[in-house]
Amino acid sequence: MQKILIVEDDEKLRHELKIFLERNGYEAVGLEKYDNILQEMIQMNAALILLDINLPNTDGQYILKEFRKVSDVPVIMITSRDNEMDELLSMHYGADHYVTKPFNTQILLAKMIAILKRVNGVVSQEKIECGSFLLNLSKSRIEKGDKQVELTGNELKIIKFLLKNKEKIVSREDIMNNLWDSEAFIDDNTLTVNITRIRRKLEEIGLADMIETKRGQGYILSLKENTGV
Amino acid sequence: MKFSKYIQDRWKTILLLLFGVLTIEIFLLLYHISIFLHIYTICVIFAAFFLGNFMEYQSKKYFYEDALGKMERLEEKYLIVEMLKPVHMLEEQLLCDILRESNKAMCEKVNQYKHIQTEYKDYIELWIHEIKLPIAASKMIIENNKNDITKSIEEEINKIEEYTEQALFYARSSYANKDYFVTKCNLKEIVNESIKRNKRTLINRKIGIRIEEMNQTIYSDSKWCSFILNQIIQNCIKYRKETGAEICFMAEEKKNKVILSIRDNGIGMRKEETARAFDKGFTGSNGRIGKKSTGIGLYLCKKLCDKLGLGIEFSSEENIGTEVRLVFPKNSYSNL
Repeated sequence: MQKILIVEDDEKLRHELKIFLERNGYEAVGLEKYDNILQEMIQMNAALILLDINLPNTDGQYILKEFRKVSDVPVIMITSRDNEMDELLSMHYGADHYVTKPFNTQILLAKMIAILKRVNGVVSQEKIECGSFLLNLSKSRIEKGDKQVELTGNELKIIKFLLKNKEKIVSREDIMNNLWDSEAFIDDNTLTVNITRIRRKLEEIGLADMIETKRGQGYILSLKENTGV
Repeated sequence: MKFSKYIQDRWKTILLLLFGVLTIEIFLLLYHISIFLHIYTICVIFAAFFLGNFMEYQSKKYFYEDALGKMERLEEKYLIVEMLKPVHMLEEQLLCDILRESNKAMCEKVNQYKHIQTEYKDYIELWIHEIKLPIAASKMIIENNKNDITKSIEEEINKIEEYTEQALFYARSSYANKDYFVTKCNLKEIVNESIKRNKRTLINRKIGIRIEEMNQTIYSDSKWCSFILNQIIQNCIKYRKETGAEICFMAEEKKNKVILSIRDNGIGMRKEETARAFDKGFTGSNGRIGKKSTGIGLYLCKKLCDKLGLGIEFSSEENIGTEVRLVFPKNSYSNL
């Protein structure tokens, strides 16, 4: 598990961020004392640091500048200062990304994943094992034995999102939210079409009824039934 | 400045002069002086009077006409006192001194207000930074405790966030300083960013988004542009039609400008009202049929565009839709 250090002086926000990151599979540590931030940042040996700019007695940008002299650990600035100048200054001092409060958590998470991937040189997970079939991300297709079907970009995004929330009801709204975050601004009808296509494609390779419709609630992707067959 | 008017102003002096001439005439008559001397005295006195007045008139005319001319050409009229040249006369000198003194007092007063305004603006900015923290914290709490109630609260929190943002830009727009920072930015990124900011409402209200080919670069402050776009999108949402609403984004590159047009197929605005769309507090008949308009959004957009040097155009047709066009100027330097 990768360790994320949260340097944020607002207790509640720190706490909630911690919960959020832990739920998403990270080990999150919040800094409690602000007497010696720089030292703690260096000693913590974190994989990534979320750094606030307005800190008690000091300035996040200054800390970042000093921190960069000794460490290359990726830093994402989180601040309520919303102007280009501060952003530019932070980037100049070596921040990997700059997020303004209030932030979109999903976008923050996506940025974190991207940065960590780049820094650690981890090749992105190319294939996801899903019980009876294999989702090949790099080739954008579903493989089952020697059978395979190609997926379009949106279809891949949808099935990836359903897989992430497998065995849970996912509302249409959540799916659309997820797609919009990655700049695919599709409407309701397109989503219906996409889901139908995915179902048909799954059927082609003998994976019928994997995506179940919960009337008025959304969809649910279940792997159990198929593994049982 | 006319000589006749000038002389008219001196009617008291003329009256006294006439009285003086009359008494001299009476004395001359009493002593039976020859008629020639009578005429000579009268002529000399009147000639001396008019000549003297005429010379003074000339110099005053020069001074005031010069002053009026300069006033005409000056952009900042109150600086006139620095331009005046009191040549010799006591009066001109006095006038300049009075003007200078009055100017100084006014400058002090203006500075005082400027100071108050700066302080207030600083406070607003600080306050907005402060309020963003609880907003961020609330959103995190909602994120970690998702259910129908928190989702509904999130919608309200988002509204608070939008209003806060508006206040920040309002404070920025009405202040003389340059708060913005022009960089090279990708138009598509700004558009995408603004759409994402409104995604929840757009998805909930089933509003379609269409983006035509867009790969232009513009030179502006991306935060400001994003705010302006956000206001326009919110208007599109507010004045949408009930079914099949759609917002279309199109960009077009001309010789020395990039035009971004945001078009919706909403309820539109009456033709006679479009001219007032950018007026502060103008809500139009749509605003009054319960659409909760504040009349601030477009007014603020216009103000911010003026500051950034962008053009903004508005056209609308009732029951057909509204189009807002943002014109980003591009000069030959930007291609270097």
